[in-house]
Amino acid sequence: MKKLTFAILGLLVACSAARADALADIKAKGVISCGVFGDLVPLGYQDPKTRSLVGLDVDVCAAIAEDLGVKLDLKTVSVDARIPSLETGRVDVMTASLAYTPVRAKQIDFSSSYMSVPVSVLVKKDAGIKSFADLAGKKVSANRGSTSEVFARQKLKGAEVISFDNGPSSYLALAQDKVQGMAMVKSAAIGFHNRSGGTTDFLDEALFWEFDCVGIKKGEPALVAAVNAALDRLESSGRLAQIWDRWYGPSTEYKLKREKKVTPASEFQ
Amino acid sequence: MSLQSFEVLADPEVQRLFLRGFGTTLRLFVTSAACAYLLGALLVVLRMSGRIPSALVSAFVEYHRNVPSIVQIFVWYFGVPQMLPAPWHAWMNAHVGALFFAVIALSLNAAAYISEDLRSGIRAVSTGQLEAARALGLSYVKAMQLVVVPQAIRAAAPALISQALGLLKATSLALAIGVNELMYVARQLDGETYATFPSYLTPTLIYLACTLTLMFVGSRLERAASRSR
Repeated sequence: MKKLTFAILGLLVACSAARADALADIKAKGVISCGVFGDLVPLGYQDPKTRSLVGLDVDVCAAIAEDLGVKLDLKTVSVDARIPSLETGRVDVMTASLAYTPVRAKQIDFSSSYMSVPVSVLVKKDAGIKSFADLAGKKVSANRGSTSEVFARQKLKGAEVISFDNGPSSYLALAQDKVQGMAMVKSAAIGFHNRSGGTTDFLDEALFWEFDCVGIKKGEPALVAAVNAALDRLESSGRLAQIWDRWYGPSTEYKLKREKKVTPASEFQ
Repeated sequence: MSLQSFEVLADPEVQRLFLRGFGTTLRLFVTSAACAYLLGALLVVLRMSGRIPSALVSAFVEYHRNVPSIVQIFVWYFGVPQMLPAPWHAWMNAHVGALFFAVIALSLNAAAYISEDLRSGIRAVSTGQLEAARALGLSYVKAMQLVVVPQAIRAAAPALISQALGLLKATSLALAIGVNELMYVARQLDGETYATFPSYLTPTLIYLACTLTLMFVGSRLERAASRSR
């Protein structure tokens, strides 16, 4: 019995020792597993033609893996499974539209931001809403679990923020006048704006700038540093700008300008 | 899972959120359960009263058993108001909340299942019982009321109780249309703090406490019913 206990203890120690440094593990395995969305255009989704995962987040993670000299192993995650997947080690890094907030940073570590977009409010043109103040006493939809939801609650004090499961539901609520505004990252909201047939408009003010980062489990400083260094190299080589242009640039329906380059975490903390 | 993540639960604001969510869940459950059991009983009566009502009830039951519950909720919230004339739709948007539509969808859905449980309870009572009661001179209504229905309810009791448990958990589907019940609060907190485990553990324990209470009350009722035999 005692022997068995020691054997189990020894095994546990061996396991935890092997897990001491995720970066060394990744290098030893030669594979980095990366969590991405499988249903969010254009960040991470299945290409209907090729059946493979594509998107901006997917490209960024592939570029990081290439920079680190390891193979990429993509795993799709749902919004709710992002943090448990990191914490339980199912994935090494997460590039699934993870936006930084100070409260969230208590649970996981964030790399430098590889993408930054404004969160805007979309309203009906004929509703006579021109500013955030006009939304007082009105309802605003947002995607559940998004920073748009968090910041809309903080910034639109007089408005009631109602969260829905995904973009289409949030937009349907606006289209049917169940809510008077929709808070969403502009990059995602543009698609709905374009399909609304000219009936919607963005408010001029941005709610805030969302900083999307690579998510890493707490206590892996070597991996965070390696990812940050990789992002810096990808920025200076122009690779990140290229990836942006592929998904959001002038040849896409979004036609968004890349307003912020890689931003170190110290600047948005 | 880090223990430190449980610190979020110490925040009084978070506790208030969960309490409010729990209140909404209870309101959803109590109103839909009351409507569902009443309507379920009514459906069984209709089903036994002629060919046309029976066919209508069976169509109603099959719709609710075969279409995903989440779709039924979407139909009530997004679909039905859209079909109404525009002024009515605008009035509904201003005066009728998502909770109301969730209660309609949940109670219609549960009523379909409850009516099937009651029907199977009635079929569990052998036809000889009804024939004997009629032979003794009881009217059809009296024979049902005094002989068949009490036995049928006894036979259906376990199934009826599990419908209540199912309905309690099904109330969480209302989060899809923005009703801020327990799971809505859990996911809001998860999105804000990324403290996933505490966010989901709290409602789990609350649901568990409620279902255990329901099971206890149910078993008491069952025992009371069999004592009156």
